[in-house]
Amino acid sequence: MNQTLENPVQKLWQDQPVEGIKMSVEAIHLRAGKFERRITRRNLRESVASVVVIIAFGYFFVTAPNPLMRITWGLFIAGMIWLTVQLWRKGTPRTMPENLAAATSISFFRSELERQRDLLKNVWPWYLSPLVPGYIALNFAWVLAPSRPTSWTTILLFDLCFVAIFFGVWKFNQRAARRLQRSIDELSAAENAQR
Amino acid sequence: MDATQNAAVAIGVRAQEVPRAAATQDDLYEQAATIYGPALERLGRAYEADPELRRDLLQEIHVALWRSFATFDNRCSLRTWIAHNVAASHIASQRRTKFQALMDLEELENLPDTTGVHNPDRTHALDRLLNLIQRLKPLDRHVILSYLEGLEAASISEITGLSPGNVATKIHRIKNVLARQFQQGEQQ
Repeated sequence: MNQTLENPVQKLWQDQPVEGIKMSVEAIHLRAGKFERRITRRNLRESVASVVVIIAFGYFFVTAPNPLMRITWGLFIAGMIWLTVQLWRKGTPRTMPENLAAATSISFFRSELERQRDLLKNVWPWYLSPLVPGYIALNFAWVLAPSRPTSWTTILLFDLCFVAIFFGVWKFNQRAARRLQRSIDELSAAENAQR
Repeated sequence: MDATQNAAVAIGVRAQEVPRAAATQDDLYEQAATIYGPALERLGRAYEADPELRRDLLQEIHVALWRSFATFDNRCSLRTWIAHNVAASHIASQRRTKFQALMDLEELENLPDTTGVHNPDRTHALDRLLNLIQRLKPLDRHVILSYLEGLEAASISEITGLSPGNVATKIHRIKNVLARQFQQGEQQ
């Protein structure tokens, strides 16, 4: 160190033995490649799962006994496609700030927390709502079917489960968003203090 | 003094050791890792107690650093650049400590000293220091680490975005905490 340290604890900190961990450029390339492949595999896994569901919906669409059921499965397919695209777009973590030159670490940290908060807070429009039109249409299809195969009680129970699951997912995400908001508020208070 | 030299002084290396120009991303990374490697290792230690996870975190930091040099254009100092990488890696590592109750400096300052008899042993002192750092909330942890690395208040303010007055208050608290927890022990 070429600086005069005013506090012996600074010296204690800086003089601590380090392992001298240094990655060779080759190791860095390998690790970076692994990371890219992991992200690609994750995205691929999610896409394959979505494609399987879409294919199943497609089968129901093709074999639908009436136009209303066909509309129902069509809406589910559209919802799944929208959801998959949004997962691709929003799910990828941002590892580095885009405008590093202008940002301080506190603003970068806050922007990351805000991005995560917004993702959780707005889970309804991008994650839950795409499947609602299909579900509503399915209810109509059940009720209006010429020879209704499902009893009112079953439909009602099914609807209650659907609403409960959606409410649970929404509530869970809202709680996580509120936790992030508390951290954002703390950062903002620290940033504005004594200005 | 240019931005890179400024950064070097703040992190604690001689200005002439800083590369003035580097041709490729790999070159830039190798030079930065040589100069700032020990400081990054200390930061990694402050963010992750588990040795295996710490090694992973450090590798993440190194990879993030290497990746960042693909777009590094000298518009900001190398120090700020590295601070951002540590911040980015820290955000990832926060997931591992989210259930731990973290404190701010004010709470830490008001906390009674529960360590009992101070052990003058250097390793023990370092363990206690790490324990203190790991109990702090992210922003205060960032400030105390910068202080311990020898950064001046103005540099800490520039990197974090906190006002100079706010940084001065935090450093005052840090000194109080450290004096109570360590210098008191040395006198015994």
